[in-house]
Amino acid sequence: MIRKKGIAANTGTIVIYALVILLGLACLLPMLNILAISFSSSDAAAANIVGFLPVKFTTAAYAKIMEDRQFWRSFGISVFRVVAALVINLVLIVLMAYPLSKSKREFKGRGIYMGLLIFAMLFNGGMIPTYLVVKNLNLLNTVWALVLPGAVPIFSVIMVMNFFMGVPKSLEEAAVIDGATPIQVLTRVYLPCSKPVIATIALFSIVGSWNDFFGGLIYMTKVQNYPLQTYIQTLSVKLEDMLNSGGSLNSLINAMEVSSQNLNAAKIVVSVVPLLLIYPLLQRYLITGIVVGSVKE
Amino acid sequence: MSKEKSQHRGGMGTQAMFHLMMLPGMAFVAVFCFVPMVGIVMAFQDYVPAKGILKSKFVGLEHFKYMMELPDIVQIFTNTLVIAVGKIILGTLMAIVFAILLNEIRVKFLKKTIQTIVYLPHFLSWVVLAAVVVNMVNLDGPVNQFIAALGLEKINFLGSNTWFRPMIIATDVWKEFGYNSIVYLAAITAIDPGLHEAAAMDGATWWKRVWHITLPGMLPIILLMAAMSLSSILSAGFDQIYNLYSPMVYKTGDVLDTYVYRMGLISRQYSFSTAVGLLRSVVGLILMVMANELSKRFTERKIF
Amino acid sequence: MKGYGIRWCAAGLAACLLAAGLVGCGKDGTGNEDPVAAEDGVMGSYQQELECSMGRRTLANPKFPEGDSYEDNAYTRYVAEKLNIRIRDEFEANGEDYDRQVSLAIASGELPDALFIGSKDILDELVENDLIEDLTDVYADYASDYIKGIYDSYDGRCLDTATYDGRLMAIPGTNLDSAPCVAYVRQDWLDKTGLSVDVDGDHCLTIDELELIGKTFLEQDPGESGNPVGMAFVPYLTADDYGGSGYTINAVTSAFHAFPKLWIKDESGKVIYGSAAPEMKETLGQLAAWFEEGILDPQFGTRTWDDITALLTNNQLGIAFGPWHIPDWLLNNVKGMNPEAEFSAFTICDEEGKVNVAHSNAGSGYMVVRKGYSNPEVIVKMLNLFFDDIVNHTALETEAPEVAAYISQGVDNSARPFQVEVNAYTSLLDDYADIKGCLNGEITVEEVHTAESKSIVEAIKRLQAGGETEVNDWAKYTSRMGGIELIESLTKKEQFNWETPVFRGTTETMKKSSASLGKMEEEVFVGIVTGSVPLDDFDSFVEDWKAQGGEAITAEIEEVLGGE
Repeated sequence: MIRKKGIAANTGTIVIYALVILLGLACLLPMLNILAISFSSSDAAAANIVGFLPVKFTTAAYAKIMEDRQFWRSFGISVFRVVAALVINLVLIVLMAYPLSKSKREFKGRGIYMGLLIFAMLFNGGMIPTYLVVKNLNLLNTVWALVLPGAVPIFSVIMVMNFFMGVPKSLEEAAVIDGATPIQVLTRVYLPCSKPVIATIALFSIVGSWNDFFGGLIYMTKVQNYPLQTYIQTLSVKLEDMLNSGGSLNSLINAMEVSSQNLNAAKIVVSVVPLLLIYPLLQRYLITGIVVGSVKE
Repeated sequence: MSKEKSQHRGGMGTQAMFHLMMLPGMAFVAVFCFVPMVGIVMAFQDYVPAKGILKSKFVGLEHFKYMMELPDIVQIFTNTLVIAVGKIILGTLMAIVFAILLNEIRVKFLKKTIQTIVYLPHFLSWVVLAAVVVNMVNLDGPVNQFIAALGLEKINFLGSNTWFRPMIIATDVWKEFGYNSIVYLAAITAIDPGLHEAAAMDGATWWKRVWHITLPGMLPIILLMAAMSLSSILSAGFDQIYNLYSPMVYKTGDVLDTYVYRMGLISRQYSFSTAVGLLRSVVGLILMVMANELSKRFTERKIF
Repeated sequence: MKGYGIRWCAAGLAACLLAAGLVGCGKDGTGNEDPVAAEDGVMGSYQQELECSMGRRTLANPKFPEGDSYEDNAYTRYVAEKLNIRIRDEFEANGEDYDRQVSLAIASGELPDALFIGSKDILDELVENDLIEDLTDVYADYASDYIKGIYDSYDGRCLDTATYDGRLMAIPGTNLDSAPCVAYVRQDWLDKTGLSVDVDGDHCLTIDELELIGKTFLEQDPGESGNPVGMAFVPYLTADDYGGSGYTINAVTSAFHAFPKLWIKDESGKVIYGSAAPEMKETLGQLAAWFEEGILDPQFGTRTWDDITALLTNNQLGIAFGPWHIPDWLLNNVKGMNPEAEFSAFTICDEEGKVNVAHSNAGSGYMVVRKGYSNPEVIVKMLNLFFDDIVNHTALETEAPEVAAYISQGVDNSARPFQVEVNAYTSLLDDYADIKGCLNGEITVEEVHTAESKSIVEAIKRLQAGGETEVNDWAKYTSRMGGIELIESLTKKEQFNWETPVFRGTTETMKKSSASLGKMEEEVFVGIVTGSVPLDDFDSFVEDWKAQGGEAITAEIEEVLGGE
């Protein structure tokens, strides 16, 4: 690229740098705020006086989390569901994307499959019928209730399919002439050159299952089975609920002793750590994966 | 001829293999997507749980008629559209502007750092980000402290019907602009640098080059993204709104998804909520097909 | 062709699952399961272990000792020991999450054997759908005389809330009348400003006196916050029940003879809706005037519950409206932050010095049993256990030390599998008489009837002895010697003017329209108070309200009442 010259370029450059840094800060500061709260004393956090630096620095909240069994139980459930979903998603997506990347002539019935998938992607029977299916399959309160309904992320199938379409035909033809079966073509020709898109959908899968809280709310009937995000979501007590459903005085008093803000902040911070660990590993594939996978020429 | 024959023979096996590869995935789709669709009949019934779908009474389009009479529904459609359109327009603009700006950053370390930071919110859940947002904008939070320092009246952003929708749009743009800029950044880097050089030679200013070279070069991808986002016009973001709203802002913040959830799972109006959900799906489907057609016509690419 | 085969295979699979998964959900409720034999008698234990699956409403902070849970705690173990019933929780959730689990259970047609139901409309729906067991006979046969005595103290008003066509469909929790809505006012601020209100010392303020307090606190800022607020209310303004009256205008409306959100009869005997009555317009007019003067929080409408609590703790606000017990769970935070804070309990009277109050809904929360459950009497046996056996136990500390420890440690009541409260109509003042008597030395601590009252007496004694005390001791003192004392003295002096709401249920039209009507009401009221809507628009609100379902609901209620 060329170097810009002249005075206009210089002031312009400064403005651009300033704007970009400002936007970066806009994303960073709110995160710093919650991090600061998690390292502040509980009274400082409750008084809402913490800005972007901890007030009365303490790691007490983190020490408390260490002893919180439910937190780690939920953490474990979340890790398990992420791994299970990742394996199932990747296998199913790749298996489906390969035949679908063929033309209608090469794979008869592709049109119908595509139609069904698009329909399934855009239409749904609603929460309650889906719940009934999960319930009647005896999946309630199991991790599978969180994993199986989302076993086929159709958008990801389409992304991988589009990526596969861009793989040079000549490679495949050579393999076919050597007598390779479709599975062999898929594993030996397609997968090795599809790292970016696989990494991208893997990231989607991980992020999607780690971040989902609603599945836990619906399919888990007890707090001890909640995945981490659901657990965090239900931490904040809604007082109005208490008042309007005939709670005893004893319950009101207990409900008002809400778990402290700095503790909740620390829980949130810890819940983000696994994503922060995975994110750099997959980020470098992200751009190629998204750009190539999202559209069909 | 012989080659074709062998391919045909292989073709039989291959075809079967292809179907076999589709089978596991399609089975899951069938169980968890198609079976529940049977539940859609509830929208045309007076569904009584004790009777089940088979024995509940059919009422035709009554729930849809009732929906049209309900003053709430206009409000909810308006909220959904305002929020969704706001997110699409501002989100796209912000992502494009950011991509153009970021492309000008020559300090590699800075560029990488900024990229990592701005992509990050996309990967965090609304459960987490709602807590972050609430801490930032509550009456005693940093934002209001800043406002108070300027001598202005503090604002209850999430509890005010004036501010709730702008807040929803702003926080969504904040979460997604970095991530959305990825495709635009890729489109910018794909533009032939020779064009810029030639224009610079001719004395074109930066603005002019952005306007006449960068933006036109990005246009196909912008149109494609815009077309794709059309299908999300009725989903204003359940996770986000569910975690940020309160009864105080139902007037401006209640959208189709949250309304369907509350009607179905809290007020137990099973049939009615299914009817609203169905309407939403149908409109969404139509928009998606339209988007695909538009995209085909204007950008010669298809979404699916 | 093969491809089609596979596809049809998938379709067939789908169809099978559909049959099993969706249609099969309407389980037949007919044909009871075989009951497990029990020893006779109301406290009798089962001969073989009976499993009872339950839906339990939980609390995020139940204060269980290490290792205990909702499913396995001192209370469930006591149930197992005494009745040989093993509690298994089908679902546990709190607040809105609990309602959602109940909705899902109803949708699937499979309820747990016994569960807590929070609201009347869910109960209506369960009855309509024939999903719950008729408890008339098991109540008659199994409830102990003591328990029956408790319900009788409500003259049938409590059981009525769960009675449909003469059949008792649920065991209701009791809700005694504990009106009026109290205005807790910062006494230290009254002293500091030298304000002379309530000269006769009956703790009843007139509207003018309330206004004077608000105005003085606003002008003189006795809390030295720099940003004082005269009076503050939540945006929903009114509550239909005593327990929900925190930060509402219910104390003010009563001075105007207005009964918002309640169905009452006017002088001519016609059913009217309190929020649409002329008295309500008067109340709103008063509030609008206060708002214009600035006595009422200029940020009214956007100030949430939490914000108002913050105003109190930050010394910006010196008047807190609510039920008598708010010192125990709200104002204790104020005291914790500001040790100098003292609150006096007042209520607002009308121009004749009377305090207008409405009877509470006598039933609050319900325990129900699934249709077809083998042993519906378990629920009544548990009722006996928790509200007769444990309450009247003379040696709980020695015979059930675990249960006694739960009570003294304040483990949440939701830990009990029987999740509603059942107390005699007069229990509030009875308990208070105990406390007062003990403090006056008329009775000994041992003679005090309930464990809770004992702990209150001890707390107040600690406080009166001076020295290091906890905020919670102060809270108990303020709520009892302030709040309940006020109720007692008003009761003794017969200063109450009781209004009886005529209808507490849900009609057909209410089901459809109550949400949008409620929304309209709130919007118009907030608008009138803040001046964005002129006061006279109240009349057009009444017209709109009637047109959008209010008239139909009134007619439905008259029909119900006429039919009785």
